[in-house]
Amino acid sequence: MSAAKNEIPKDAFVITRRFAAPRELVWDCYTQEKHLKNWWGPKGFKMLKCSLDFRIGGVFHYGMASPNGQVMWGKWVFHKIEKPHLLANTVAFSDVDGGITQHPFAPVWPMETYAETSFEDLGAECGITLVWEPGNATPDQIQAFTDAHAGMNAGCEGTFSQLDTYLKTL
Amino acid sequence: MNLDLVFGALADPTRRAILARLALGEVSVSDLAAPFEMSLPAVSKHLKVLEHAGLISKGRDAQTRPCKLEPETLKAVDDWLEDYRRLWNESLDRLEDYLKTLQATSAKEKKNVRRKK
Repeated sequence: MSAAKNEIPKDAFVITRRFAAPRELVWDCYTQEKHLKNWWGPKGFKMLKCSLDFRIGGVFHYGMASPNGQVMWGKWVFHKIEKPHLLANTVAFSDVDGGITQHPFAPVWPMETYAETSFEDLGAECGITLVWEPGNATPDQIQAFTDAHAGMNAGCEGTFSQLDTYLKTL
Repeated sequence: MNLDLVFGALADPTRRAILARLALGEVSVSDLAAPFEMSLPAVSKHLKVLEHAGLISKGRDAQTRPCKLEPETLKAVDDWLEDYRRLWNESLDRLEDYLKTLQATSAKEKKNVRRKK
């Protein structure tokens, strides 16, 4: 079994990227409406409408159309703004009026997730590290889940791997 | 299904071991207790937590009460995690493309300005 497989669960809530653009520009893309509407959302989704109130406690509210035309609303609420290196916001499913709703396909799961993005200046490039977590889970619960997930994915331990395989067949 | 209950249930190594055992198939409570060097009531307590979280169910047979994994719950946690990961990953893919477009456009504009002079 590869070491890489073991590392997946540990990183389940962390995403790192390196962009070939200066940090200022990447920061602008995260914090300006004219930019956000051009990249935020799953692949194939089109931003129909959005509004941004960029301040702590402020909201980025948006409506997107899925490739098959279904309209979905979402919103961010900004929690930390430390230009140019740190941004923290919640991401939630929303409705046309900006209320918070459940994930349309997973009605029992947390209403929102909390994301913290740090921006690293690498000269002509910018590195970002995104750490996200379920909005209403405690750090202990996150750890527990991450551990359990590690167990599920540890193929060489055998026991959980069968569970994992079974889960994939569902 | 309640996420807090699921996280709480998964937080304990014994309960995770029980789930792992149940992944191999249904087991009666007493057979389940055997490898854990634990009293039957202690194991029953763990099973109650798992059952309450929707991670396992108990069979009807009053004698053996076989325990059964309810994998849909774990699957739902996994799906939920995957959905949010996908949202971020796909958005960041789009950001990468968008940054390229932005910089290509601004390079072109600079060129045009220079040409006009």
